[in-house]
Amino acid sequence: MEFDKKSLLKLGKLARISISDDKLNNLSQDLNSILEFVDQLKEIRTDQVDPTSNSLNQKLEVRDDKVENKNSTEDVLENAPEKEMNFFVVPKVIE
Amino acid sequence: MVAQMIESWNLVIGIEIHAQVNSKSKLFSPSPTDFGSKPNSQVSLIDAAMPGMLPVINKFCIEQAVKSGIGLNAKINKKSIFDRKNYFYQDLPQGYQISQFKDPIVGEGFVEIETENGQKKIGVERLHLEQDAGKSLHDQDPNFTFVDLNRSGIALMEIVSKPDMSSPEEAVEYVRKVRSILRYLGTCDGNMEQGSLRADVNVSVNKPGNELGTRCEIKNLNSFKFIHAAIVYEAKRQIKLIEQGESVNQETRLFNTQSGETRSMRSKEDAHDYRYFPDPDLLPLTLDDDWIKVLQDSIPELPDQIKKRFINEYSLSSYDANIIVSDKATSEYFEDVVKNRNPKLVTTWVTGELFSILNKKNLIIEDSPITSKQLGELVDNIENGKISNRQAKEVLEEMCESGKGALEIIDEKGLSQISDENEIESLVDIVLNSNPENVKKYKNGKDKLFGFFVGEAMKLSKGKANPKIVNDLIKKKLSQ
Repeated sequence: MEFDKKSLLKLGKLARISISDDKLNNLSQDLNSILEFVDQLKEIRTDQVDPTSNSLNQKLEVRDDKVENKNSTEDVLENAPEKEMNFFVVPKVIE
Repeated sequence: MVAQMIESWNLVIGIEIHAQVNSKSKLFSPSPTDFGSKPNSQVSLIDAAMPGMLPVINKFCIEQAVKSGIGLNAKINKKSIFDRKNYFYQDLPQGYQISQFKDPIVGEGFVEIETENGQKKIGVERLHLEQDAGKSLHDQDPNFTFVDLNRSGIALMEIVSKPDMSSPEEAVEYVRKVRSILRYLGTCDGNMEQGSLRADVNVSVNKPGNELGTRCEIKNLNSFKFIHAAIVYEAKRQIKLIEQGESVNQETRLFNTQSGETRSMRSKEDAHDYRYFPDPDLLPLTLDDDWIKVLQDSIPELPDQIKKRFINEYSLSSYDANIIVSDKATSEYFEDVVKNRNPKLVTTWVTGELFSILNKKNLIIEDSPITSKQLGELVDNIENGKISNRQAKEVLEEMCESGKGALEIIDEKGLSQISDENEIESLVDIVLNSNPENVKKYKNGKDKLFGFFVGEAMKLSKGKANPKIVNDLIKKKLSQ
């Protein structure tokens, strides 16, 4: 798989990140080298292995439906750059 | 009516229902799920997607999804997988929603609805568990959006229908039915005003015999009225486009509840590319047979079964049974009252007078000012002839206002109906004896005077005489 500039711009758009022209080349090279690295996995023969979404023989941990509300509004909002009336305040994005 | 406007066109409708699981805490975090709390007061660091936080699934939510699946006559998948659905929006702090894509917890099922042409089976494609997003407020500031994450991470069941509905009425019936089943199961409270149950509706139109038209999806409808109105508007819009030689664009649309119109929200070209992949933080969800069995055994009697039973046990009409079982609280109320009483009378009083009082006061039956026990007492007094139907209405209204019992009011107002034949006979005698002219006219064929005699006798009894006995006695006496 190769990451061309078009896919990179699409990915940027989906993540609402603007990518300037001068960064396009470097970024696509970086991403491609990551993909190449991961592509090594394809060398492993898996035709004798059942498909699985995880490699551990563990079961999903579950918890009971018990309420805990440890984090206060102040904690949650502490790192928010902008806040008002207990809301996070962010640039307007309307769908 | 709608059928006429869009005659010669087929409507194809499919619906996605988002039903909030009736859990105390969220799907992957222990934060509370209460409605209407202070902004960002029910947010854990997991819900706010702080780095390093890991989701742990709520067992109760899994169970509610399985129970709902059983209620929808659906296949329960013993293995299901949680995926990340990636998209950017400010009220989705993770940058992805944990949902189920290829392997949902519940597979194909169906529900049955009542239509003009009898029963119809509507297919259910699947039911899966997913997280709700937070809430964005755009109207607080001209340049900024305010975000409240209280809803973020609350468990939803997304129920996807097959495109089996062909009119707005069927669509509404389907949502009603699913809502009713979930409420009977107790898996979702079905409160549409608070957003616990909302629907996305897919609509397309085509000419009979032609292939399916391009569909549009109308998002986030939170009342039966809006579902109906949005489908009618959308169908007409699409038909008009096609008749003008234009084509329908596949897109997501929003329904404006003020104007009753739909408007484009995003087109196919701008459609999200969700890049689903299995969530590496969560192992596959496996259900063993014992667990499923326990849940199966906990399923209460559901509306379709109760309806059948009411028809058999109480000889209700299908119509009345439908009205009563459509809501769990109503069917419980009805069953409380009907025990050892005349089902026909009870049906009339529950679906007639009680409903009209509740409507007038804009109350749900759970908050009825008249308990089932109190209504039962009232019905008893009608049944044993102590009061007439007309008097009973008066008593019911008074019960509603004062909270007093039926008997107490009957005694207080001296309403008690006279059913003693001797007593009524003497009243009738007085009336007939004091109107010899009219008696003569009646006997000569002026039938209409019968009502006059009844009226006089009732007047004399101050409205308390049992009208049936009055009628019978006058008829008997005049034919002598």
